[in-house]
Amino acid sequence: MSVLEIRNLHAVVEDAEILKGVNLTLRSGEIHALMGPNGSGKSTLAYVIAGHPHYEVTEGDILIDGESLLDMEADERTRAGVFLAFQYPVAVPGVSVANFLRTAVSNVRGYTQQAENNGNSPAVIGSNLMPMREFRRELNEKMKEFNVDPSFARRYLNDGFSGGEKKRTEVLQMAMLEPKFAILDESDSGLDIDALRVVSDGINKLATSDRGFLLITHYQRILNYVKPDYVSIFFRGRIVQTGGPEVAHMLEERGYGWVEKEFADEPVTA
Amino acid sequence: MSVLVKDIAPGDVKKSVEQFSEATVRALSAARNEPEWMLEKRLAAWAQFEAMPWPKSDDEAWRRTRLTGFKLDNFQPYAQADGKPATVDALVQVELDEMQSAGSMVFQSGDVAFRHNAEDLSAKGVIFTDLRSALHHHPELIQKHFMTEVVKPDHNKFTALHAALWDSGAFIYVPKNTRVDLPLQVILHQSAEGAGGYHHTLLVAEDGAEVTVVDDLLGGENGLQNSVVELVVGDNSVVRYMNLQDFDHSTWNFLTGRAIMHRNADLRWIQVSWGSRLTKAFLDLDMQGEGGHGELLGIYFPTGRQHIDHQTLQIHRVPHCFSDLLFNGALKDKARSVYMGIIQVHPNAQKTDAYQRNGNLILDSTARADSIPGLEIEADDVRCTHAATAAQVEDEYVFYLMARGLTRPQAERMIVQGFFQAVLDRVPVESVVTKLERVIERKIGG
Ligand SMILES: Nc1ncnc2c1ncn2[C@@H]1O[C@H](COP(=O)(O)OP(=O)(O)O)[C@@H](O)[C@H]1O
Ligand SMILES: [Mg+2]
Repeated sequence: MSVLEIRNLHAVVEDAEILKGVNLTLRSGEIHALMGPNGSGKSTLAYVIAGHPHYEVTEGDILIDGESLLDMEADERTRAGVFLAFQYPVAVPGVSVANFLRTAVSNVRGYTQQAENNGNSPAVIGSNLMPMREFRRELNEKMKEFNVDPSFARRYLNDGFSGGEKKRTEVLQMAMLEPKFAILDESDSGLDIDALRVVSDGINKLATSDRGFLLITHYQRILNYVKPDYVSIFFRGRIVQTGGPEVAHMLEERGYGWVEKEFADEPVTA
Repeated sequence: MSVLVKDIAPGDVKKSVEQFSEATVRALSAARNEPEWMLEKRLAAWAQFEAMPWPKSDDEAWRRTRLTGFKLDNFQPYAQADGKPATVDALVQVELDEMQSAGSMVFQSGDVAFRHNAEDLSAKGVIFTDLRSALHHHPELIQKHFMTEVVKPDHNKFTALHAALWDSGAFIYVPKNTRVDLPLQVILHQSAEGAGGYHHTLLVAEDGAEVTVVDDLLGGENGLQNSVVELVVGDNSVVRYMNLQDFDHSTWNFLTGRAIMHRNADLRWIQVSWGSRLTKAFLDLDMQGEGGHGELLGIYFPTGRQHIDHQTLQIHRVPHCFSDLLFNGALKDKARSVYMGIIQVHPNAQKTDAYQRNGNLILDSTARADSIPGLEIEADDVRCTHAATAAQVEDEYVFYLMARGLTRPQAERMIVQGFFQAVLDRVPVESVVTKLERVIERKIGG
């Protein structure tokens, strides 16, 4: 049982304050949907949690089980149990999904750490890796389970992937990395109904009692497949309302125009 | 069968040869008991060399690659036999052990130090020998092909010097419809310090022949390396050629390599430029027969103050040929690279399909890559494209990989390795791929 706590989080990028005091607590086993209009700062929140170096945290804290993530680099946060599924995964030509994932999994599961303790440099690709056979077996199993074609293992990461293929590969990566907390940034956007179902099935399979989800979305649609415990409305860099699934339904009925009217006058520290 | 060989008896070459001169040329030829016609050829080339001016900094080819600090007098004209028994350096032994070849030959500063044929090549009529022996055993073939057509001595100042002083290299002849499955491996290890070296590769693939040749170039400390590669790619033949240059970082390196491609010839040339202090390489695909398919792929990774310059020419003289060029380079520290390329399509070369791409990955803001692609098209029904890119390792890529648990150095390594992958994917010999990956790894690291 773990807790991810976001306390009064403020963050700026290029002198503009995008996050203006976010408070959120996510526990293992919970699915928390975060809904908000475009440009409200949802991706910024995801990036800041994951440790993107472009964003500066000016106030507040992010903690896992009481330990602050703020001084950690992105990779250390991942090893601490955070996983971010990107809204726009970048293509990395020449780097195969399997090759990259083997290094990632080896790091996250501590193979590299063990080797480092034995006096080897952790930065050398090709050393300190999970045994190939073991890795292959697991990757093949998970590809089958999460509906990713086996040919993707050899393909270059996101290179020439369709939108749906990218999002499915993000879910596959999450399955391999087994995070404590997963932040899914619009994993549903741009998907047709079949792809949405595949991605949702994947999330549901991974939504175990030892894992918490922050499900960022613009649309209510994915919540027909993935049932959230909490739904929060995100607006202008803050959470303005939190409730159960009924909040999502209300949003669907009233639209973001309503949010605009309802919360535009809220005091905002600029 | 494998043997250590020593072609030359100690004392054959007088130690007095210290300067570049006609006498030097004569001494070299005499020490090797060359036939008269080769001496004549060398002397004619020497005269051409003397008559030609040195490149000037306003020559288009030399505007970005200056020869400041380059002086012929600083080098011993060529490496001389040291009289010690032939040995194969540990470095070379690794190269030999790692590749499964049909035949291997090692040149140590001009002399053949080792040869081993795993296959009975001569039974097939395949010739795989050093050029020096070939002068005696295959004079008609050498007279026909050696610097007569593909690269003529007066091609440029450096080829003239090469023709006068060539001292090592292989002659590879594959007869009609004959196939050599495993690669033929030629290693030059220039162990002499401060000397000139003139490695030559002459490959003649007759009609329908299939062969893969790997040239591995090592050593050359404080020396001058002035190589020539000549490929005759016959009708319907399939040739894979790899030139893997990993000279010492103090070497001045000049290379002129050309391939003449005949009807339906299929050539893939992989040019790797890791080493040298300065490299100026001229590489041409000369497509003379219809239906030719030529690929010219290059990788380079200068670090420190290395300067690497490739100048390419894809010549389409006849219709229905395809050529594809891809040169990818990464640069670190204060390194500098130049890529200049032209696709030349002659008036009747209709239905030409030609591509040219040069990508540069700049790892330090102090490094610099110049890219000058060009098209000279005189036919109207052609498809030609060229593209040049220069990029840095983008933060977004690094962040994406770090968000998957890779450390920053791991992420950067993967991105650089990935950048070279487009070329590595097309290297047809597995052990060469492994070796190249290792060098890339080493270059990223230090
Ligand atoms: N790197 C950046 N530089 C400048 N402005 C940014 C940057 N990233 C995000 N922003 C700004 O922050 C605001 C929130 O963006 P984002 O977090 O992507 O919102 P959402 O994901 O909710 O659509 C937008 O106004 C956007 O222009
Ligand atoms: Mg977003």
